Amino acid sequence: MIPDAAQVKGEYASGNRRRVLWATCFVVLAAVLFLVTLGFGVYKISVIDAIGVFFDHLSGDISDPRSDEYVWNTRVPRAIGALIAGAGLSIAGVIMQNDFKNPLAEPYTMGISSGAFLGATLGIILNISVVPFVPVSSQVVANAYVFSLIPVALIAAVSKFRKLTPMSMILTGIAVMFLFSSITQILMVTAPSESLADAYSWRVGSLDRIRWDVVPPMLVSTVFFSAVLYMFAKRLNVMYVGDRSVRTLGENPMFIRIVTMVLASLLTAGIVSYTGTIGFIGLVGPHVARIFVGSNNRYLIPASAAFGAAFILLADTIAKVSGINGLPVGVISSMIGGPLFMWILIRQRRNVWA
Amino acid sequence: MELKINNVSFSYSSVPVLHDVSFDISGNELVSILGPNGVGKSTLIHCINKILAPTSGTVLIDGRDVSEIKLKELAKQIGYVPYSANDSFPLSVIDTVMIGRHPHSKWGSLDEDLDIVYETLRMLGISHLAMRAFNELSAGQHQKVMLARGLVQEPEILLLDEPTSNLDVRHQLDVTKMLKRLSREKGILIVMISHDINIAAKYSDKIILMHEGSVYAIGDPNQVITAENLRTVYGVTAEITKDDDAPHVILKDALPMDEELDGTAAKSPA
Repeated sequence: MIPDAAQVKGEYASGNRRRVLWATCFVVLAAVLFLVTLGFGVYKISVIDAIGVFFDHLSGDISDPRSDEYVWNTRVPRAIGALIAGAGLSIAGVIMQNDFKNPLAEPYTMGISSGAFLGATLGIILNISVVPFVPVSSQVVANAYVFSLIPVALIAAVSKFRKLTPMSMILTGIAVMFLFSSITQILMVTAPSESLADAYSWRVGSLDRIRWDVVPPMLVSTVFFSAVLYMFAKRLNVMYVGDRSVRTLGENPMFIRIVTMVLASLLTAGIVSYTGTIGFIGLVGPHVARIFVGSNNRYLIPASAAFGAAFILLADTIAKVSGINGLPVGVISSMIGGPLFMWILIRQRRNVWA
Repeated sequence: MELKINNVSFSYSSVPVLHDVSFDISGNELVSILGPNGVGKSTLIHCINKILAPTSGTVLIDGRDVSEIKLKELAKQIGYVPYSANDSFPLSVIDTVMIGRHPHSKWGSLDEDLDIVYETLRMLGISHLAMRAFNELSAGQHQKVMLARGLVQEPEILLLDEPTSNLDVRHQLDVTKMLKRLSREKGILIVMISHDINIAAKYSDKIILMHEGSVYAIGDPNQVITAENLRTVYGVTAEITKDDDAPHVILKDALPMDEELDGTAAKSPA
């Protein structure tokens, strides 16, 4: 049976419609979880009431000022933070996995997390600010941002002068990671216990600190870098064929790799500087999305972002009601992410990554 | 399309692979490059399509030095089907072949691109695989998909690195015959690396026989495929008969692999 052109085109179009549909499902799921999470936290309010408070505020008709204070000023920015972190870190994961053709690559592969943590630790423990004229309240964020970019900047600079293979780039990232971690360990060994607890909570990643004041910079950075990266979607598809063939298709693979890697690092830095290093999402988001929509980046990038957002919203909802005063979201995301990931890998019939 | 190789040499760090390769091919032909393992066939192809830059010498297409042509522009002129036994990526066949349209892609070209992809799949007899995952194909299907990707690029010169290495005999004959037909129908110069002397001799318009990093003989299959040439280049004794006016090789024996007798045998392949 030889299919005719219309049939093949029809199947191709319907396959792509199915991908869009899955991505839309993830978006709807994220939207629902965004509303549900408003009902969870230390302050007691039902999910329905919390959603009512949220829409009351949007319509400018605040009927319950006390609830509004908790829901609008604490939970809404926190939920937005979860949305941004999940989406942004998942996109960075997709990019890293493509750039290095390695299913284990994730936003922190190039030493981003260890850099950010070292920067944060310098601020928290030694009270040092590497960026001049930054108010004390922002010095941890500023330090983390600057330090998280050092490993990638280093790799990009070295690759200007020397030909680095993707593998040697990853290894350089790992080397920097160990160097930074050991410096951080030295700082922590000598730290007083109260700042140690702060440093620790920063390390596992938490959305506790996300308030309205940090939402604009996080949002602008994430939307901007995600949009720019999405413009590389087609070229990232070309990257699948391997560096040599990429050249014969008219693209320079090293250029695409370095540019998208730097953009993904900026995307990641703009999130982890505020939230700390939330783990596992950069692996779970892309891999789950891959199972549903395949690896064409035009669909994979948005689907990963939407699934990642939903996942972190769920993890943070659980985090808020765990323990006495809640747990850091990073702990929960890894705790549910790990088994979920294993279950997916075992259940999966075909190897979507190969 | 004229492809002119002028005194091209290439070394991997200090290991010389190509020495002073020169030849000139043109027209709508199928040209096969033959030679033993490690002789530099793939390296030569990589020097033509700028995957590698020759250590010295120049490659000209229609009189233009490829080192001065941008990758993007070159991609519209030279297509490449790599040796790809292990290549694997998680896309459908149709998306994989669509990547070959990349050098030509512009906004709104999707429908036209899909037509070209479909026609090519159809011609190769694999249109029923369009929606399958590339990873799940057999070696032969895999190779035909790679060939399709090279063809949808609509190049004027198509370079193929052992395009039939994973195919069974029927498909080897079929694909090679098709390459010859395509060279005429699409008006392209097709250059392929081959390991099957008889199939190459049967369908090629021209054969380039390589030996020790250089061109040992180039020309019509009847001139190039001789017992003496095979003895020197491959180290085998053979009897050459005729089949349909093309030379047909009956291999007799391998010459003793004595490094003392043949000082170059120890040369490492690239």
